[in-house]
Amino acid sequence: MENRFGLKDLFLFLLVCGLIVLVLLQMKQYDRQWQVVQQVRNQVGDQTSDLARIRRMLEQGAISGPNLATTRQSNLDVDKRVRRIHSAADFAPGDDVVDVLLAPPDKLTPLINTDLYSMQIQGYVLDTLIDRDPVTLGWVPRLATDWKISPDGLTIDFNLRQGVTFSDGQPLTADDVVYTIQLTQDEKIEAPAKRVYLSKLKSCEKTGDYSVRFVFKEPYYMAFEVVGGTQVMSKKFYSRYTPQQFNESTGLLIGSGPYRMADPTDWKPEPGRPIELVRNERYWGEPGGPNRLTWRIIALPAARMTALRNGEIDMFYHPAPDQFDVVKNDPELSKRYNTFAIDTLDGGYYYIGWNEKRHGKPTYFADVRVRRAMTMLIDRQRVIRDIIRGYATIATGPFNPLSPQSDPSVKPLPYDPEQAQKLLAEAGFTRKNNALFGPDGKQFTFEFMYPSTSDTSKRVATFIVDAMAQAGIVVRPAPTEWTVLLQRQKERDLDALFAGWGGGAVEDDPQQIFSSSAIAGVGDNYVQYSNPKVDAAIEAARSTVDEAKRMEIWHEIHRMLHEDQPYTFMLTDKELDAVDKRFKGVEPTKFGIVTLKNEWYVPRSMQKYHD
Amino acid sequence: MLTYILRRLLLMIPTLLGITALVFFVMAMSPGGIGGAALAAAGGNVRGAEAARIRAYYEKRYHINRPLIVQYGRWLNEISPIGWREDDEGNFTTFGFKSPSLGESMERHRPVGDLIAESLPITLLLNFITIPIIYAIGVWTGIRAARHRGGAFDSIFGFTQLAAWSMPTVWLGVMLITFLASNQYLHLFPAAGLTEMNASQMQFLPAHVAGHWSRGWLADVCWHLIMPVICLSFGASAFLTKLVRGSVLENLGADYARTARAKGVAENVVLYRHVFRNSLIALITVAAAILPSLLAGSVIIETIFSIPGMGQLGVEGARFQDREVILAVTLIGGIITLVSMLLRDIFYVLADPRVSYD
Repeated sequence: MENRFGLKDLFLFLLVCGLIVLVLLQMKQYDRQWQVVQQVRNQVGDQTSDLARIRRMLEQGAISGPNLATTRQSNLDVDKRVRRIHSAADFAPGDDVVDVLLAPPDKLTPLINTDLYSMQIQGYVLDTLIDRDPVTLGWVPRLATDWKISPDGLTIDFNLRQGVTFSDGQPLTADDVVYTIQLTQDEKIEAPAKRVYLSKLKSCEKTGDYSVRFVFKEPYYMAFEVVGGTQVMSKKFYSRYTPQQFNESTGLLIGSGPYRMADPTDWKPEPGRPIELVRNERYWGEPGGPNRLTWRIIALPAARMTALRNGEIDMFYHPAPDQFDVVKNDPELSKRYNTFAIDTLDGGYYYIGWNEKRHGKPTYFADVRVRRAMTMLIDRQRVIRDIIRGYATIATGPFNPLSPQSDPSVKPLPYDPEQAQKLLAEAGFTRKNNALFGPDGKQFTFEFMYPSTSDTSKRVATFIVDAMAQAGIVVRPAPTEWTVLLQRQKERDLDALFAGWGGGAVEDDPQQIFSSSAIAGVGDNYVQYSNPKVDAAIEAARSTVDEAKRMEIWHEIHRMLHEDQPYTFMLTDKELDAVDKRFKGVEPTKFGIVTLKNEWYVPRSMQKYHD
Repeated sequence: MLTYILRRLLLMIPTLLGITALVFFVMAMSPGGIGGAALAAAGGNVRGAEAARIRAYYEKRYHINRPLIVQYGRWLNEISPIGWREDDEGNFTTFGFKSPSLGESMERHRPVGDLIAESLPITLLLNFITIPIIYAIGVWTGIRAARHRGGAFDSIFGFTQLAAWSMPTVWLGVMLITFLASNQYLHLFPAAGLTEMNASQMQFLPAHVAGHWSRGWLADVCWHLIMPVICLSFGASAFLTKLVRGSVLENLGADYARTARAKGVAENVVLYRHVFRNSLIALITVAAAILPSLLAGSVIIETIFSIPGMGQLGVEGARFQDREVILAVTLIGGIITLVSMLLRDIFYVLADPRVSYD
């Protein structure tokens, strides 16, 4: 019994544990100091090189060449909106914008990032050659001052702006543009999603220090958008890393945009640590209003609401419709927050896909009259009112209503059960004892598949079951787990599916969804819709480089798809936002508001965060 | 004793092989297969032939198109410190010592080792704070309730703890956030996260700076951890109380306790020296089960309070059928469980002189 574990031993054990904890804490603290020291060192390095440059200029006699103030003056052709908003009398730079994300992005390194959040953040740091005006959707210059497209659409020349520097002070030249394209095309870089867009690009070469030329293999309607939208990366910065290091990195982010990472090499998705961008003082256009853009990560919807109530976050992007209504109607919250419900180009569409062929046999939905009848049996306006609380519009086709692709003359099919019954009778359906029987004498019943995780889908399914029951059609709702759903989609083994396609592009390519070439194999035409006229029109549009002509063809496709109803196009969501009222200059655009925080400002007296 | 421990440690290897193989093959045969959902999401809005090209790239990169047994074998090779090295194309080259790795996540495209390194410390931190609290509450209230059996303390605590045990953690978490972290009611605690926004500029310890008190980084983290820890310890401490109470009561009525009292030993000595020591066996038995269950149970807490740890990593991995992540989480979970079982058996020896493995 000598080696009994007594009270004294326990105390000793606890003491050792305590010591270990203290040592660990000490190490952690040292680590934190190390990070701060590193940041300071980077800043000092930056400032030293700045000083050296200034001294050199002074020694040369006079300050000539691209100096910051004159550069900004000469770049009046960009950031026109920002300049207009910032010319208000109460404009003052300063304050932070604290936004909220559901989950931290996995990576902020360009090319290899995959989620939407990282793209939103990168948009403030990286610059593109050209950009779309968020209101007119026309192309406006950014890093490129002007451009020329050859008549056959194969060659595109860009002239780059002079005097632009990355946030580390290195000049941005044609070499950086060429390097960006080369890096994207490098098979060793894990960027297949970015690479597919460049598959039709033949070459990219510099034709001068500030001019580049892109040559395409074949006419491609997206060509200008694809190369013009290239986010230019710094050759000097990124070429320091091997492809392996680049692929494994999480936060190598440096650019020439209005904001920058405080340390462009260090970001890691650390749990609980917000993401922070600071104003890029070397930015060549109109500087952003807020000092800092911050994103906090809060996963739980109730916690996000609490944080909004406490003022811990300044805005709430994409709340659920019911939360949005709370912010809008709560007397205290509505006093503090502006609410926006905006139709944007980012809104994709929800639809019900009607499979025309299952197990090798045509289904009832192969008949266009049946598909039209299905659409007329569904009161989409009520779906929007009751399920989405009115924050959506009826979709009429695969194109976003704000896009020039969409034909504004197409009006949604009306909710008209009587007309639907007539169409069904025409197609050979008969109604007996409140049940509908098909031309083959079998009762009309189908399976309605939808993703099981989505609450909205569940409610839509209930609604569809009711609507169809009134017409004598029996619907079996089938909530399906995502992987199983994809598998069934691939095997074309389904009757009807409620799902959504994402938006975001000004011009969308319907080939993969509605062309009959996408029925076989891996295509996404899983409803097996086939119309030779649509096929031909899509082919024609894709190789038409002239924008006006192409839009006419898209309009025609829109009308044909509306006639054929391969899908019942259900609705397009609005972007919902709540933004603290202290921010001025928050102007809704066709791209929403979250990508334009650099335009916002807070009048001096209302600023909340100070350095 | 040492040989026993060594034998147990070696026995872990086949056990872990069995666990991971089971998890791997069940996942591979489920709908969607390996990487099903992760690869379907790859490329975002890209569709059709282009999406297929992206998929093909990843399938090649992660060797998904190889036979299942080969994939499992490759994973074993990857985690083992002795094995074949690979070239860029993924072909085996030389055999020998190499640095073991947990592979790369198909969904996040990051090394799994990094993901674990980010999330494991949080989960461990939560658990290492929670477990002593659970035990302290459980043992103290358990003994007290047993001593004054049927008294006011016993009945009131018995009732409230039963209620606590039946309360779903999700509900409790949301209630805590809405009532204790909101301006509307009491704003005592933060609603989410692990630190304040300006935590990186804080001092380490509380300090008096520029005329006002700053809470400092350490206190800030503790402050953020209070609500998650409450949520985690609520149910488990109720369970432990009941257990301690039951086992102390049983021993209090045992013959040896009566004998001790008859000898004239003071009641406190009977309780803490004799009875409590004998009740420890039950406590040690559950301890081995509590740690793994806390690891799994923290996923709810992690989601509610936005502190993504191991639990969330595992759930995400399962959702996307992310081969490397699931296998790594299984492996680590397995090791923790097996080690805590081994510790339990060692503690038996310490607590009960009758137990011996020699």
